[in-house]
Amino acid sequence: MATLTLAPGTGWTERLLPAVRRALPVAVTAVVILGGWQLAVRAFDVPSFIVPAPTEILAAFGHDFGTIMSASRITVQAVLLGLVGGSLLGIAVALLISRLPAASAPVLTAAVVLNCAPIVALAPIFNNWFGVTSIQSKAGVAAVMVFFPVLVNTTRGLLQVTPLHLELMSSMAARPRQVAVMLRFPNALPYLFNALKLGTTLSVIGVIVTEYFGGPSNALGVYIAYQAALPRFEYAWAGILVASALGLLMFGLVGWIERLLTPWQEPDHDDLMS
Amino acid sequence: MTTTEISAPIIAVDGVSKRFNAGTDKEVTALENIDLAIRPGEFISLLGPSGCGKSTLLRCLADLAEPTGGTVTLNGKTPRAARQDRDYGMVFQQAGLFDWRSVRRNVELPLQVAGVDRATRREKAEEMLELVRLSEFARHYPWQLSGGMQQRVAIARALSADPSILFMDEPLGALDEMNRERLQGELLRIWSDTQTTVVFVTHSISEAVFLSSRIVVMSARPGRIAASIDVDLPYPRTAKTRTLPEFFDKVTEVRQALYGAPSDQAV
Repeated sequence: MATLTLAPGTGWTERLLPAVRRALPVAVTAVVILGGWQLAVRAFDVPSFIVPAPTEILAAFGHDFGTIMSASRITVQAVLLGLVGGSLLGIAVALLISRLPAASAPVLTAAVVLNCAPIVALAPIFNNWFGVTSIQSKAGVAAVMVFFPVLVNTTRGLLQVTPLHLELMSSMAARPRQVAVMLRFPNALPYLFNALKLGTTLSVIGVIVTEYFGGPSNALGVYIAYQAALPRFEYAWAGILVASALGLLMFGLVGWIERLLTPWQEPDHDDLMS
Repeated sequence: MTTTEISAPIIAVDGVSKRFNAGTDKEVTALENIDLAIRPGEFISLLGPSGCGKSTLLRCLADLAEPTGGTVTLNGKTPRAARQDRDYGMVFQQAGLFDWRSVRRNVELPLQVAGVDRATRREKAEEMLELVRLSEFARHYPWQLSGGMQQRVAIARALSADPSILFMDEPLGALDEMNRERLQGELLRIWSDTQTTVVFVTHSISEAVFLSSRIVVMSARPGRIAASIDVDLPYPRTAKTRTLPEFFDKVTEVRQALYGAPSDQAV
């Protein structure tokens, strides 16, 4: 509603306070979970091959820091390549089929059906096609996983324009190209970003799982699978936590780009990372 | 704005009919044989119950629907040519602002579509926002505005390309009574400032009487013009106008044209 408060306070305390207020619950929750985990492992004497204590995982991470970071770099490259490639392809096909209303319904139906298939199951096939140690096999699986939600969401955003807005553009004698640029594209942006946020997680999953089936020896998925087989579970857990942090980081990055490109969006709804 | 002076109509409607699903068993006659001439500078209300075809008639004028019979002429042109020449601006029941554009850039939209350069359209938009008294909200986004303010932005947008005609399809229908009356006053001020010809669709009798120089009363099934009533209350009309006996007399006259002579029956 009419939130007409202008110019928030300029003093640094006034700006810092909301940030602290936002971060505090997250920090408290993290401390409670990690503390509870540590206590439970110690109290019930849980063996580390079931669940290692956070301190053990931290020690493993410190010990293998160089290896894990180098592995993460290889994996990040594949994740980014898959995310960008899958998104670009999804956007391109969405643009194409939104121009052909007759084609959009069958293509969308097919996309939704294929999207339900466990695409990670393709991992060994992709390894076979592009070579076990190649980045294309990992990024390829990620790209296919990202492709479908981006295609479906972007097409929806391009087509689900309110009739009122179409009529308004028509009353102004807008040309089809103007309707696309001034109405359909901006309308589709929030849809696209929802798909991209989903896509970051999918891309990380796609790459890590494909790496489980083999990859360059210094990839994060390979590292996790190898440590678990040794078995050095606290090291495997350290790898898993880094993979999670990676997904979170990418999600935050996309959220940040979203806020830059869609500044009109009302804050405080579906915005986990603010 | 007396209605006695004789000038060529800016809008001419000759024998217009509109049938939906023509030739099927679901055929509906929305408009039948409508004749109407609107002179430049008039404020015309199309008034009637829902289903009387008043919105359909407006949409035929605006080339958003096509009559199945008869002709419409705007500024001596077909509605299509008039639309392409951007002779009219349109305000709908919903403001229909673009969420992703600031208030100012929403007002600029028709100018941008028409290919007006950035500096000119910015200047024009600021002028329009002054007209609807929203200058200080130029940089806000639509969600930060109340419903009444959004509708004022929609009016500024419709007028930004200086159209000679303003079509309004129940533009105040979604507002509460207080906002509605305030905006009626605003609208009359804007009308007298811009000298635009207004065609205003409404189902509120008092709204039609307060605003219009002439009320076209329509009846339903099939949509026909039942009466054309001149409202000779002097402009500028104010809150006081609403309390005058002449105002109530006019409301009664319009109500009779809608329902027939008063009786003891409910309604």
